[in-house]
Amino acid sequence: MRRTDNSAPTPPDRTLADVPLEEEVVLVRMDVAGDDVESLLERGIVPGCKLCPIRHAPAGGPTVYRVDGALVALRKETAACLCVRSALEAAGVLASN
Amino acid sequence: MNGGTPSATLVVDPAEGNGAAQGRAPLVALVGPPNSGKSTLFNHLTGLRQRVANYPGVTVERRSGQVSLPTGPVEVIDLPGVHGLSPRSLDQMVTRDVLLGEQEGARQPDAVVLVLDATQLNSHLMVAEPVLGLGLPALVVLTMADELDRREGALRVSRLSGELGVEVALVNARDRATLEPVHRFLKALHTGGEEVRACPIVVAADHVEGHGAGRPLPMIDLFAARRERARALGRSAGFQAPRLSRSTQRLDALVLHRLWGPLIFAGVVALVFQAIFAWAVPLMDGTEAAIAASGDLVRTVLPESWFRSLLIDGVWAGVGSVVVFLPQILILFLFIAVLEDSGYMARAAVIADRLMHRVGLQGKSFLPLLSAYACAVPAIMSARTVEDERDRIATIFVAPFMTCSARLPVYALLIAAFIPAQPMLGPFFGQRAAVLVGLYALGLVAAIGTAAILKGTLLKGRPVPFVMELPPYRLPSVRSVGARLLDRAKVFVRRVGKVILTVTVVLWVLTQLPVTPDGETPPISDSALGRVGHVIEPVIEPLGFDWRIGIGLVTSLAAREVIVGTLGTIYGIENQDSQDFELQAALQRDLDLGAAVALLIFFVFALQCMSTVAVMRRETGGWRWPILQFTYMLLLAYVGAWAANAIL
Repeated sequence: MRRTDNSAPTPPDRTLADVPLEEEVVLVRMDVAGDDVESLLERGIVPGCKLCPIRHAPAGGPTVYRVDGALVALRKETAACLCVRSALEAAGVLASN
Repeated sequence: MNGGTPSATLVVDPAEGNGAAQGRAPLVALVGPPNSGKSTLFNHLTGLRQRVANYPGVTVERRSGQVSLPTGPVEVIDLPGVHGLSPRSLDQMVTRDVLLGEQEGARQPDAVVLVLDATQLNSHLMVAEPVLGLGLPALVVLTMADELDRREGALRVSRLSGELGVEVALVNARDRATLEPVHRFLKALHTGGEEVRACPIVVAADHVEGHGAGRPLPMIDLFAARRERARALGRSAGFQAPRLSRSTQRLDALVLHRLWGPLIFAGVVALVFQAIFAWAVPLMDGTEAAIAASGDLVRTVLPESWFRSLLIDGVWAGVGSVVVFLPQILILFLFIAVLEDSGYMARAAVIADRLMHRVGLQGKSFLPLLSAYACAVPAIMSARTVEDERDRIATIFVAPFMTCSARLPVYALLIAAFIPAQPMLGPFFGQRAAVLVGLYALGLVAAIGTAAILKGTLLKGRPVPFVMELPPYRLPSVRSVGARLLDRAKVFVRRVGKVILTVTVVLWVLTQLPVTPDGETPPISDSALGRVGHVIEPVIEPLGFDWRIGIGLVTSLAAREVIVGTLGTIYGIENQDSQDFELQAALQRDLDLGAAVALLIFFVFALQCMSTVAVMRRETGGWRWPILQFTYMLLLAYVGAWAANAIL
């Protein structure tokens, strides 16, 4: 299943909002406007970090993610601005380079 | 880069008057991310020898205290929790300016104690770079040693110290012995020991001076690189991240559960309400009785004079109006401290976020709005945790619509006088209770509507990411809860006390003037205050109010409940025991049902509280918002009361 044959990185087609619970993903791109992104960056949510959704708050509220051993809750709108790739896939791309 | 040695930019502000003016004790700043255990360390070091004040001109609190060591005293300041030093938020700006010696009213620290949570070392080390890079002598304190151990994490402290070039101490706040390296570092500030040294990291201009304009992308790269360096540092220090706390996971499964989550949330809110409105009542009654009794005692001791009147009817009444709320405010603060320190408050914000977001606010607005049911003043101050400025302004703008406890005596008086005690839904829910619930609901609806209007107009803007950290659940310590309770109470009394006392004394003066030809104080209707009542009578007549209510409305600007006492004075009610009953009878004579409901509605909406106005000015840094808020709420009150009077 590992994409070792493809040297060009596949365009990330998923956002963090689409990731099911308990699947670990790697952040590849952040489409958050301007300075707003800083509150995420400061908490270690930067390209290359691993995120894992572990719990949805009731009634469509924010989702709790595991980031670097800490728990951080993000709204769906914010998660939808973060492009991710599954951790396994990312490891494969890295291995191929 | 760093503007020279610390002493070159040392600023001693003589106006500060808190001992720093002596300029002799070394000054140490505690810096670190929120929830890193910084304040716990501060409490352990300074005990109860703490002071809370604001940095001049800004709303950021300045907590300072002294540590007495055999070698001499050391002054410690606890800086706000920050994730970095960029000027993204006021807290970060102040922290940076204090560390650089550029903050007005604060001298540059001689050393920094950087406090990081050992269980989150990778992300917390990202703060180390900008802070240590300032070149101040530093000690890195890693907290939560016990938790790191329990959750099977690992770390080689000596290696991290070698990598950073400064001393590193792994501590556990519940075990004083582990704090020994911190004391050693503080002592070395006197003795010039080798523990005191600066980190040799060289910091790029970006970290200190913020991000230059026209470079949108490098910010992400900058942080990605910083994170990579932090992880590399962690790796070379043999850091093994601990597993997630099992108890936290188990509790979260319950607290954020689809069904149980909202139920627990509702239960906690109900408990807070029960505490501040039911359990606080005997304490408040006791306090009120004590104030009245002490006033009476002074009255019998002092001869009759203008001075006695000023002391009792001005100062005593003013102080009394503040102190009477203290038990309730303390109980509220106790709950908030326990909920915050235990970690539940962050979960409550997550649960509330969905609902709050819909009306243009956010999860972190929940705590201020809940507090506002006791008093808008601490509510407005607690809104500092709302990072986004637009959300914070919207939150504090609508907070005074929440039914604060100062409104209750007014509601109680009018409801008892005009609403019959008839059952509505069973024996426990009568018409009176229904009206009271209705008044609460009306305030809430006004708050929601106003928030939505504000976020659609004046505070319109791109929604900012909502990032809420969920700290592990911890058992709150008596020490830290106690310290918080004490300093919150001090700040409350200082903020509210000054304003209420001033307004009460001014109103007292207005009741004493002009002196009659035979040197007596005038009857209240002829006094300056009475004339104000007559002057505004034509304006309030459409609401069904006469000049007496007018005087009451003016005096209630000191604090809403003051109107009850004022009306008592105006109607010449002398007998304290039957005051409530006589006042009700007098109001029934003077007001019809329409006017009574109009008065209730007026109190739901109007910002009859100068302390709130003063705090708004302070927290928004100018008069614009408080003036707008006062005018808006007054207009709403006027129109609402007019409509009620016209319809009924």
